Amino acid sequence: MTEKTLIILNKLGLHARAAAKLSHLANMYNSDIYLIYNEDKINAKSLLGILTLAASVGNEITVQAIGNDEKAAVAALGDLFTQKFDEEN
Amino acid sequence: MIKSLIITHGNLGGEMVQVAEKILEKKLDIENISFDWKGDGTEMVSQIERFIRKNQEHDIIIFTDMFGGSPANVSTPFIGSKIEVVSGINLPGLLKFVSYQSQKIKLKDLVKIIERGAIEGITIISEYLGEKK
Repeated sequence: MTEKTLIILNKLGLHARAAAKLSHLANMYNSDIYLIYNEDKINAKSLLGILTLAASVGNEITVQAIGNDEKAAVAALGDLFTQKFDEEN
Repeated sequence: MIKSLIITHGNLGGEMVQVAEKILEKKLDIENISFDWKGDGTEMVSQIERFIRKNQEHDIIIFTDMFGGSPANVSTPFIGSKIEVVSGINLPGLLKFVSYQSQKIKLKDLVKIIERGAIEGITIISEYLGEKK
């Protein structure tokens, strides 16, 4: 299992388009990938699941991946957070 | 691949598809029929028949805006082993459909998943956040 805690940096938080990008990227990996926020743990491959987190800028989200490409998956998702979902560059 | 048609009063369905395309940043394989208010539905029936003929190799889901409305009423006679009609479709339900559209899944199972996604997409936000706190 690989885990990393990330901070949401884009102003709009995990809104629809960001959630779509995140789930799309997560679906490229074989590993099971989860997002953990407060007491919620959701499947990162589900767009609607991500939206239920209602996570905003500044919130901390833990990405957890379990599988043969878990390290690459967590790294890629981490990059997406760091790049603010390509929204403010 | 499950084919889909969205039929609504006015351009509600077309707009919903456009919004979903904007969110997902890709062109969606969903056809749209706008019910123009004036007609008696005859043209709509022909359009549905054309869509079904064109996609007869596929399972089909017809989305409509509201149970009991003309788009749903006109679609209902087409329900069969390869065709389901889902009324009251909303954006969460449509996004749910898109995420499963190209997967190998039974039509009956997919419409249940879409129904659940659409219903769960309706949220009294104060209650939801209250529960979370």
